[in-house]
Amino acid sequence: MSFSATKEMPPQGPPPKPFHLAATTDFSLPNGLRVTLAPYGIVPKVAVRAFVSAGGVHEPAGQVWLSKLNAELMKEGTTTRAAEQVAREAAEMGGQLEASAGADFTSVGGVVLSDCGPQFVALLADVLAAPALPASELPRLKADLVRDLAIDRSEPGTLASERFLKTLFPDHPYGRPFPTESELQGLTIDNVQAFYRGNFAAARTHLYIAGKLEGDLRRAIEDAFGGWLRGSLAPESPAHPVTTRSLQVIDRPGATQSNLLLGLPVADPSSPDYIKLDVMDSLLGGSFASRITSNIREQKGYTYSPFSHIATRRHLAYWVESADVTTAVTGPSLDEIFYEIDRLHQEPPSPEELRGIQNYLAGIFVLRNTISPDAIIGQLHFVDSQGLDRSYLSTYVQKVMEVQPADVQQAAKTYIVPSRMTIVAVGDKGEIADQLKPYAQ
Amino acid sequence: MPITYYKLPNGLRVILSPDSTAPTVVTAVYYRIGFRVEPRDRTGFAHLFEHMMFQGSRNLGKMEFIRLVQQNGGVLNGSTRFDFTNYFELLPSNKLETALWAEADRMKGLAITDENLKNQQGVVTNEVKGSVLNQPYGGFPWLWMPQYANTNWYNSHNFYGELKDIEAATLSDVQAFFDTYYAPNNAALAIVGDFEPEHAVRMIEKYFAEIAPATLPAPPDLAEPRQEQEKIATREDPLANRPALAFSYHMPPRNSPEYFAMGLLDQLLVQGDDSLLYQELVKKHGFTGDVSGAINELGNMFNYDGPMLWTASLFHDDTVAPEQILSAVDAVVEGLQSKPVEQSLVDRSITKMRSSLYDTLTQFGGFGRADLMASFALFDDDPGKIDSLEAEFRKVTPQLVAHTAREYLRKTNRTVLLIEPGAADAAGGGDE
Repeated sequence: MSFSATKEMPPQGPPPKPFHLAATTDFSLPNGLRVTLAPYGIVPKVAVRAFVSAGGVHEPAGQVWLSKLNAELMKEGTTTRAAEQVAREAAEMGGQLEASAGADFTSVGGVVLSDCGPQFVALLADVLAAPALPASELPRLKADLVRDLAIDRSEPGTLASERFLKTLFPDHPYGRPFPTESELQGLTIDNVQAFYRGNFAAARTHLYIAGKLEGDLRRAIEDAFGGWLRGSLAPESPAHPVTTRSLQVIDRPGATQSNLLLGLPVADPSSPDYIKLDVMDSLLGGSFASRITSNIREQKGYTYSPFSHIATRRHLAYWVESADVTTAVTGPSLDEIFYEIDRLHQEPPSPEELRGIQNYLAGIFVLRNTISPDAIIGQLHFVDSQGLDRSYLSTYVQKVMEVQPADVQQAAKTYIVPSRMTIVAVGDKGEIADQLKPYAQ
Repeated sequence: MPITYYKLPNGLRVILSPDSTAPTVVTAVYYRIGFRVEPRDRTGFAHLFEHMMFQGSRNLGKMEFIRLVQQNGGVLNGSTRFDFTNYFELLPSNKLETALWAEADRMKGLAITDENLKNQQGVVTNEVKGSVLNQPYGGFPWLWMPQYANTNWYNSHNFYGELKDIEAATLSDVQAFFDTYYAPNNAALAIVGDFEPEHAVRMIEKYFAEIAPATLPAPPDLAEPRQEQEKIATREDPLANRPALAFSYHMPPRNSPEYFAMGLLDQLLVQGDDSLLYQELVKKHGFTGDVSGAINELGNMFNYDGPMLWTASLFHDDTVAPEQILSAVDAVVEGLQSKPVEQSLVDRSITKMRSSLYDTLTQFGGFGRADLMASFALFDDDPGKIDSLEAEFRKVTPQLVAHTAREYLRKTNRTVLLIEPGAADAAGGGDE
């Protein structure tokens, strides 16, 4: 199968159409609840989500996953609605009441049919301000979390990321993504109620509503949330991630692949370097056509879905590359990843390669802000929770386009420093120990 | 939203559905060849072949297709499913012509080498290892269940592929598969998003009209016999540390009244925490933390064309016997079979279905809409069917729900898959 004729060039098409972000309405209630309404689209669905500063980071020592247990219990009814009634009412609005806890926030909300928006706001307010947190459901929910924990920790990728975080944040809740089983078994209903009382209040909450907005949502929000107690702002708990080089190996005898993770802390989103880092990451490993992916997937066939990204916590970010590679090429995969990092240290990308990445990020930005109501909420919450001005979004594409080849090289040299990296490999130690030797220091 | 549907003289089915909400456009090409129909000594070949479609065509060398889409601000993917293989791009709307040119280029022919094939055999074996062989519950239940529940090879073989079959594929296999199935008269092209239909029609004519049709082989017999006895299969998973249980029932034929009733039964039984099995198995008995379920675990109840399963699955503890779980399931199912459910329960299922249809259609920037239109064009020659789905569900009565439960949720129409854990408990241990 070969063709000898001259190749055609792809048609370029006309210039792009302008893109405008959804115009938001932002206001606060007297009790401190912040509200953002983002009307978007014509499909009659609306996403309603409250982000409460009540995450893993706010758990007392020795009570890891208390925030998750609390989130589960919040779905178990309110002082005036049985759990089954909450579930049924949300279903009749075409949705479900969801609650989940992450490192910094608990998110409570759902996506419902647009004409039910105001009604769902009332249901959400009841769940947030007056949850029953019934002791009767505690044993069942704890048993579910113990099972989830066991299953999570049987997954090699999860083990790799647990060790990675533990190494990066040795003295901080960010470094303790999983409890021990006995820690989990020890949680009581008093712990849950104390966590709820200490963390759930209007001043610690931002409510986002995005999608096709119908009815008087502002009125519904004022009526439903106006009486919620104010509470106090969340305490800050700054983390100081480790920047020393280490290699961590977790033995998984007989594993056909090694799960590799390598990374280190980088500038957080408030830094002027952050967007340069973002561009650098997309070029190095964060996109399908990136250098690392082209190398270890498309040239070498060592792996299926290698990927780098910049993960964020509050006022903090770290860069991480992950790749699940065939056991026999664990060392060669690391060789190639570090080769690509070194190559970017040595010379800036060509203007053409950079322009391709800039166009990609500009296109992805449009997708992130249009693809679904929850995606729009995700963008707004990212900016707000990092303490950035909303102009971060309106100037993002312009700033991406201003990045120069030398900026990309400099971002790699400044931040992607192999001698400060944590490297984790989960795999068959007997097969990979020798391959990993060069990376021990 | 308006739909334009027509065929080019070479047989290519074209579906256009403009929507100017966002300045983006989805271009999706669907070939009517899925993993059911792949060479018998080449399991996993339809999927391996999908990877080859990114490896080079006349005007686009290796990596150039991927770079072209990415450098124009878009994302792309392909997937291999029961009855089709798709390729799609989501791009800024001014790049529609670029996408059409590139899709036409690879419909015209591939230009790949042994080295490209060998490279993708490496990538695909890593994909299978990462998703199944090195992963607890890796094929549960989506890959394993069809192998136990079905009897016809087309429906019951390992469609991700045995590694030895993936490794045995040759360039001439690739060429033969392309020549047989990758022709305009075996494909549909769907465009959804911000574009002018007249302009799109001209561009489609320009790039696709010259591609020659192929003589298609007669479709094989995919039929499954009526199941008359319950099947129970056990599978040890050496990487898993908790038991798991799944059960499947063979679906009614597509587009029958019972098929739409099963769509509502899926909502009623397992979708959402108001559903009957969630309430029974999670809330009442505490057997598990969640019950998952779907008609077609690799898509939805609309994008397939052949025998299909409705499957539900859950994880549990070894202190609970599978028999206890199944008898609780039986009690719920018998309740549905013995007398018609209340109308309010049917109404709630319709509301949930309508809400989920909106999500399906808008999934991934309009890709979901392209997916249903292309599927309905290929399987029913009628992409406009997407506008009549809600009406079909509204025809379902409580009596029809009971009738459907009696015939299709028969125990003798069921296959149960039990996962026996082979790994040590990891909840308490350290990470060494």
